[in-house]
Amino acid sequence: MARACSPRTILALALFAGTAAAPARGYEARVDARTDVQLYTFASPYGDPIVRRRRVTQQLGLALDDLDGVPDPRAASLGFRARLRLDGDFGQESAERSPRTPERFVPGLEEAPLDLIYAYLEGEGYLGGVAGFRVGRQQLFDALGWWSFDGALLRLSAPAYVAVEAYAGYEQRSSLPLTTDRYAADGVWRGRRDELETALHPAFLDQRELAPAWGAALGTSGMHWVQGKLAYRRVQTRDVVVSAPFPDAGGGWQTVGGARVASERAGGAVQATLPELGAVGGRAVYDLYLSRATEYDAGVDAYLTPELTVGARLDHYLPTFDGDSIFNWFSHQGMTTYEARAEWAASRRFAIAASGGLRAFTTEGDPERYASAVADADPASPSRGEAQRTDAVSSLDARHRTAEGSVAARGVLEAGERGHRRGGDVTLRRRVLGGRFDALGIVSLYDWRDALRPDRAATSLQYVLGWGVRAGRRARFGAEWEHAMNRLVGQRYRVVATLELEVGP
Amino acid sequence: MSRARAHGSPRGGNHPAAGALLALSMVVAALLGLHAPGARAAGEASAAASSGAGLGAPAEPTPASSGEASAASGNAPAASDTAPAASGAPAAAGPLVRGLAPMPGGAPVPERWRSPGAVEGDGGPSPVVFPPQRLTIRFNHRLHVRSLGVPCTGCHERARTSRSARDSLLPPATRCDACHLTDHRDLSEVTGEPEHHAAACVFCHVGYRPEDGNRVARMSVPPPRLRFSHAAHGARNIGCRQCHGEVQELELATRDQLPRMRGCLACHGQQGPARGDAPAACVTCHLAEASGRMKTSFAEGRLVPPAWLHGAGHGPDWIERHRAVAAADGTLCATCHQERECAECHDGRVRPRRVHPNDFLSSHPVAARQNDPRCTSCHRTQSFCLGCHQRAGVTLSGPDAAFAGRGRFHPPPREWTDPPRGAGHHAWEAQRNLDACVSCHTERDCAGCHASREVGGRGAGSGGAFGQGSNPHPVGFRSRCRVALRKNARPCLVCHDPRDARLEACR
Repeated sequence: MARACSPRTILALALFAGTAAAPARGYEARVDARTDVQLYTFASPYGDPIVRRRRVTQQLGLALDDLDGVPDPRAASLGFRARLRLDGDFGQESAERSPRTPERFVPGLEEAPLDLIYAYLEGEGYLGGVAGFRVGRQQLFDALGWWSFDGALLRLSAPAYVAVEAYAGYEQRSSLPLTTDRYAADGVWRGRRDELETALHPAFLDQRELAPAWGAALGTSGMHWVQGKLAYRRVQTRDVVVSAPFPDAGGGWQTVGGARVASERAGGAVQATLPELGAVGGRAVYDLYLSRATEYDAGVDAYLTPELTVGARLDHYLPTFDGDSIFNWFSHQGMTTYEARAEWAASRRFAIAASGGLRAFTTEGDPERYASAVADADPASPSRGEAQRTDAVSSLDARHRTAEGSVAARGVLEAGERGHRRGGDVTLRRRVLGGRFDALGIVSLYDWRDALRPDRAATSLQYVLGWGVRAGRRARFGAEWEHAMNRLVGQRYRVVATLELEVGP
Repeated sequence: MSRARAHGSPRGGNHPAAGALLALSMVVAALLGLHAPGARAAGEASAAASSGAGLGAPAEPTPASSGEASAASGNAPAASDTAPAASGAPAAAGPLVRGLAPMPGGAPVPERWRSPGAVEGDGGPSPVVFPPQRLTIRFNHRLHVRSLGVPCTGCHERARTSRSARDSLLPPATRCDACHLTDHRDLSEVTGEPEHHAAACVFCHVGYRPEDGNRVARMSVPPPRLRFSHAAHGARNIGCRQCHGEVQELELATRDQLPRMRGCLACHGQQGPARGDAPAACVTCHLAEASGRMKTSFAEGRLVPPAWLHGAGHGPDWIERHRAVAAADGTLCATCHQERECAECHDGRVRPRRVHPNDFLSSHPVAARQNDPRCTSCHRTQSFCLGCHQRAGVTLSGPDAAFAGRGRFHPPPREWTDPPRGAGHHAWEAQRNLDACVSCHTERDCAGCHASREVGGRGAGSGGAFGQGSNPHPVGFRSRCRVALRKNARPCLVCHDPRDARLEACR
């Protein structure tokens, strides 16, 4: 009969296994966690409903470096990164999530969705330092914007001047496990329609298929005074969705399916700097689905002295949407902003920047004469004229920063045909006792008027008081109290509490 | 009597008024501290000022006429900004005013003698990279190098072999003994030839007084926050002057002769073979975290790039400008930033105060119409915005049954939606910034009027129309519709019946 092991023996064996059998670790691991709690309430402009936000957001991050056990910056390296997020809003009413209560039902609303922000394995410096890769859920940033997909990316960097990358996978979209719809093209209201009748919210399109995506980029590498990147990306949708959001003659619903373009865009960005003179840069995006340039900007900065920089910028933006969306055909001209800017860095601690300019929109037709012009025009080639509408935009930012904290001020002034928004904040951040405690104070005053809704004009005064405490370098707890006062809401309060923890080297 | 009492501090606290005064003084001190972020302890302030931490004044102790600055520190001689008191110096030498500053009399250093990359008004090297120093030695480099012929490595001999920036390259005090006729072998009992004026402590040690005995002011030259090998650079025949400028022309060498990044990049920023083994990556020189990212946070502050480096100067409005740099070279951002930092704003769940001002919940409709800041940089309008607007009952679609009939959100129909299209018609706003419309409206709201009359096969002749046939297409649409239809026909079918003859024009 076998003799039962005593707890002491088990403990000794466990200790032995934990020490003698543990391999030498060649990697660094870090784990961090963050919890944010936000409590606030706001009311509909009509007085009801009252929306209660009881938000709890938790993030858990993991980073593993030097998985191959070679902590040498000049050698190939392998690492892993992951970040998981729970985004709960426990102030929701269950009726808002149930199709059985259509008077309150909001399609797509979830109480506590869980998403994997990223999780990828990354290798760099392979094949003599020229090759790198990423596999998993990852984020990209280039001239086309900030985007996320599940798949693989390969990057090849020539010893000088050029790097090429190519990737393929599936766009991150909601309604699949551990996803968010943040990265999908806009203009389409999508989600799982599992319990929804077609006649109920037909504009809420079903989404359950993976969305194939691929792209490539060509960029500079190792160029110190010039950086640039050309990028191309195509994403497809494969879901079967209703076409017209209205029933057909028989009362049925027509559908569309198969692979089709969700977005297909190409773009580029370049930035060149001459340290003695200044910098120039620009960016442009061409939408291959719409066959038109949808975004472009260009700017120039001159370093007049080491302290003073002046510049000018042009920025054009036309809202664009998913290929499934009709909204692409309602978005005509977009907006173009012309802006001048100056920045004076009086010292390493104090700097101030001011900008001002015009935001212009060219109408497709003269709004004042449009009706008569259309009536008189040849339908095949309407001559509708055009007109310029402009708003003035300006901002002022100043900051005094020290090792112990900062004082920052911001001012905004926008005025024009769309009304105005003007005001400013002063923010004070301060660390005391070697950073063990920190304090935050903000006071702001804003006044606004929407020309379309003058009854919603208001002047608002708000202050924020915050406080935080650190336990070592790895843990921090903070709380903020926010109090806003204006004639629309009376008094509104918001409480934010944050707990941050970190374990690792 | 304690020193505090001697200076009149209310100590002990027996009297109620004293307690109140103490509490009041603490509150005042706290408020002053809160409103004076740059305030430091006096000793630190003196060190920072003398090292150029603020506006770039180099670390030169300045001559003064009295020795009072060191009197308050008790037994330890302070690192005084003053020259040795004339009364404390041996009679033979006269005033010891040379070697207290880079140039006689504190004159500015000519630009050609400064470190490569240094420019007028640059404020000296970064105090975060090269922390403030506390120089308590009077030393004349020009005299030693040019007049006496001592090479740099005659004193800084460890520069030949040093492979770490943490190595101290300052010569040991015994290096001075042979010429100055001193004996520093036992630092607890330093001696000097009494008849030789250059052997007196005060000849080199700033602020020294005879009553200080064997104690001199401590010198502090913190190691730079860099990875640097003097040996590697020396092996490539890079001389001292190539990084430190013309120190042999100066008297006191200060932080101002330490290298500037702009000077380093003269070699490290070269392209191709010219660069050799000097990569331009930030962590070639700057300290790195375990993750490989650059370490940017230090006690003296945070390292941020200058404006001339990739146009990435992190000025007060940087958050509004960073897109241009990130789009051209996102890897530059990744040198210091983790992607979670991007996500905290661009996919955040807590409103970032640096982006949205206070009470943005009330004022956001006006900002959204101006698209300032650009909403879609962080928000997907047909989920983030629409979901909240539906919950608040301000949308046309959604749970309108419960909230219908409570008033109109937009201007009256005769102005906003009815034909003919006047100056206040919604079409102009839609053409301009459709993102604002899409934050509340779904496609069904728009298709109700803009769909063709035959949509769904229920045209006027077959029981009623859903669409009003109001054409929303932009000028030039005909030339582009063929491509769009081929790539994705779905939006066409939202408003057009599949048999609609107008679709044929795009096929």
